[in-house]
Amino acid sequence: MHREPGEKRDFLPSFVAALDAAGAEEIVVENGYGSGMDIDESAYTASSSRLVWGDLDDCLIQDAVMQVRCLDEGYFDKLGAKSILLSMLHYTTRPERVRRLAELDINAISMDGLVDDGGRRLVENLAAVSANGVGAAFGELAKTHPAFDDPGRPPLRVAILGSGAVGSHAVRAASRYGNDQLRASMVARGVSGVEVVVVDYDLTAHESYMRPLLSRTDLLIDATQRLDSTVHVIPNHWVADMPLHAVVLDLSVDPYNFSVSPPIVKGIEGLPQGTLDQFVFQTDDSAYERLDPRVSTENRRVALSCYSWPGRKPRECMEIYGAQLEPFLDVLLNKPAEAWDTSSPSLYERALARAELGRWLEARTG
Amino acid sequence: MSIRSGRDSALTLGLPLMNQEPEERRDFLPSLARHVASLGHEVFVESGLGARMGYSDLDYLDSSGRIRIVGRDEAFAQDVVLVLRSPDDRFELMRPGATLVSMLHFPTRVERYRRLKELGVEAVSLDLIADDNHRRLVENMEAVAWNGLEAGFEALAHTYPGFRTHDRDPIRVTVMGAGMVGKHAVEAATKYGSLERARSLRDFPGVEVTVLGRNLTANERYLRERLHVTDLLVDAVFRSDASKPLVLNEWIDELPGHAVICDLSVDPYLLDASPPTVRGIEGIPQGNLEQYVFYPDDPNWRATIPHGVPALSRRTTVSCYSWPGIHPRACMHRYEEQLLPLLEKLFETEGAGRLRSDGGYLERALYGASMGAWVALSEPDEVANSRGFESRTSG
Repeated sequence: MHREPGEKRDFLPSFVAALDAAGAEEIVVENGYGSGMDIDESAYTASSSRLVWGDLDDCLIQDAVMQVRCLDEGYFDKLGAKSILLSMLHYTTRPERVRRLAELDINAISMDGLVDDGGRRLVENLAAVSANGVGAAFGELAKTHPAFDDPGRPPLRVAILGSGAVGSHAVRAASRYGNDQLRASMVARGVSGVEVVVVDYDLTAHESYMRPLLSRTDLLIDATQRLDSTVHVIPNHWVADMPLHAVVLDLSVDPYNFSVSPPIVKGIEGLPQGTLDQFVFQTDDSAYERLDPRVSTENRRVALSCYSWPGRKPRECMEIYGAQLEPFLDVLLNKPAEAWDTSSPSLYERALARAELGRWLEARTG
Repeated sequence: MSIRSGRDSALTLGLPLMNQEPEERRDFLPSLARHVASLGHEVFVESGLGARMGYSDLDYLDSSGRIRIVGRDEAFAQDVVLVLRSPDDRFELMRPGATLVSMLHFPTRVERYRRLKELGVEAVSLDLIADDNHRRLVENMEAVAWNGLEAGFEALAHTYPGFRTHDRDPIRVTVMGAGMVGKHAVEAATKYGSLERARSLRDFPGVEVTVLGRNLTANERYLRERLHVTDLLVDAVFRSDASKPLVLNEWIDELPGHAVICDLSVDPYLLDASPPTVRGIEGIPQGNLEQYVFYPDDPNWRATIPHGVPALSRRTTVSCYSWPGIHPRACMHRYEEQLLPLLEKLFETEGAGRLRSDGGYLERALYGASMGAWVALSEPDEVANSRGFESRTSG
C-alpha cells in the first residue's frame, strides 16, 4: 500500500529471506509488492518458502506489520491489538498518530527511534536525505543562477541551518554539488567550488547575523532539528533578503499541523510541503495558495521539499534499511514485545525497547 | 576451518594488555569481560588490564567464576584474543587456529597479515568491519573530531582575549575537508567541541563553521583570504596526494595572531618514503597523548618536524596521533557497544575460520574483515585451490 504514486519503496526480496532466516512462520506479502521498483513477484517467491501472497487486509492482520512509510491512520483499526507495527512513525511530530496507536494497544516501533545508547540512529539513510535533496537543489540552482558554470564566478555559497546528523551529511553533499559528475565537470572547467557555512541554534536566532548571511547565500538548507517545532527559524520576511536566484531546500521535512495548539510549523516559513510526486516549487506554484492562510508566503524563492528524500532512489534506500533492520529481527520475531528490556545486554533489544511506543510514552511522562 | 570442531565447551576469550606507548591508556573495560562471561564463555584477563584508566584486577571479576586474572602468555593462548591495537610482537603467543580481533589495517600492513597467516592464526580486523554499504561498524571518528575540537577551543579560550565577551563576532571556524572526520568536526565545532562548554556559552554569539572541499582548499587566493578571517583552522582533509601540503608554512601568517590550528588528519612526516608524506599544514608539530597542545614558543615545536621543513610561521596548534585516546573510558565504551554484538556472533560461529560471506548481517560484516576475505582478495587462486572461500566482490 503506497500513499501516493511517487512512493515506490517496498522491502526487497533479500529482506524477506532475512525474515525467513530469523524464524517468521509465515510472511504475507501484498499483491503487487515491489512492482514500483520493477521487482518481479518471482524474486519474492524465490526468497522464502514461507511467503504467501495476499491483499492488504491479509497483511494487516498479521502479528507483525512492517512498512517503511507509516500506514494511513485510517488503516490502524485493522491492526490487531498487541500486534507489532514497525514503521517510520516520528512520534515527536505526530501526536495524533501516537494517540491513536496507543488507544488501539498496538506495539508500535518507530524505525526512526531505533537508537544506540548514545542516541545515534541505527536505522537511517540520512546520507540519502542529504544527497538526494542537495543534488536536486543544485539542479534547480543551475537553472536560476546567472553564472552557475562560469569559471569567473566566486565560490557558490551554501548556508546550512543545523549541524546535526542531517546537516553534517548535507555539508559533504553540498561541498560536492550533490552530484559527483557535476562536480567533476566543474573542476575540469576550472569553475570555483562551493563554500559551505553551517550555523546552529545559537546563531540562527541572531537576526543581525542571519540577515546579512542570507543576503549572500545561493542555497539555503534547513537541516534543523528544532526543540520547539512551533516556532520558525527563518521568518518569511527574512527570505526577502536572499538573492532572487537563490534556492531554498527543506531537509527537515517537519509538516505543518494546524490541528494542534500551538500549531507545528516548518523551520523556514512559507515553504510548501513536498512529496515524491512533486518536490520542486517555482515561485508561482499553486501549492503556495493551498497553504494555511496563517502561513506567510509573501517572499518566495525556488523551493524544494519532500517528505522522503531517500524515496527518490527507492531500491538503494531499501537495501540500506533492510540491512540495518536485519540484526533486529531475531529479537523482534522471537521475543514478546512486553519482555523487551531497555537494559538488556543486547544492543538491538535495548534499541527496540526504547523505540516501542508504550515505553517511549512512559519515558516522556516520567 | 573450525578451530574447536567437536569440542563441547564454549570458546574462550583472552584480553591481553596493549603493549604500546606509555601514554596509551586504553584497554577493554570490565563490562565487556563480564558480558562475554554472562554468555557462558571463560574470559582470561591479563593482570593489570585497565590499570591506566583506574581499574584494578578485581574490577574485572564477577560472580560467574568464568573470569580469571592471568599472565600475558595465558591471555594470548585463548580461542579468541581481543586487543584494540595490533600486538605485532606477540603474534607468536597465539595458537594456530585461534582468532585475533584487533585494528590490523591489512591494506597498509601486508607484513602483519603474512605473519599471521604463517602462524596459522585467524584474524578479524576491526577497522575493516563494515556493513553491505561499506559503513564501518567499529569506528570512533566522532571522538577524533570532538576531542580534537575540545582541545582546539580550550586553546582558543587562552589565546583569544575576546572569547568570553558578549559583543564579539561569532567565532569563525574553517574546516578543511568534508569527509567522515570533517562531517563530525562541523557538529563538534558548532558546539565548541564540548556540550558542556556550549551550554556555558549559550548566551554568547555562537560559532560560524565554514567548510571547504578540495577545490577550494586548492585555490590559494581564496584560501589565504579565508585564513585571514579564521579563529580556528581545522585540518580534516584526507589527501589523495600526501606529498604536498595544503597550507604552506608562510600562509599561516595570514591567520590572526590569536588563531589556533587543530590537526585532525594526523598524517606523519615521512620524508624518506617514496613518494614522501608531509603534513597537510606545513610546519606544525605532531602531538601525542602526553602533549597535544603546542604554543608558538614551545621548546618541543621542532621535535617532530624534520630538518628542511619550514616552521617559522606558527600559531598555537593542537595535534595528537590518537584523539580518541584523550578520553579513554568514553572511547572504549563506544567500541564496546559496537563490538559486543559482533563478538557474540563470532563466538556463535566458533571463530573467524567459520565465517560465511552469505551469513546474516553481522556475519557478513565480520567475514568481510576476516583473514579469509583478505586472502580471497589478495590471493584468489590459492583460496580457490585450498580453502573454498568466496571472493569478496565489494568493499
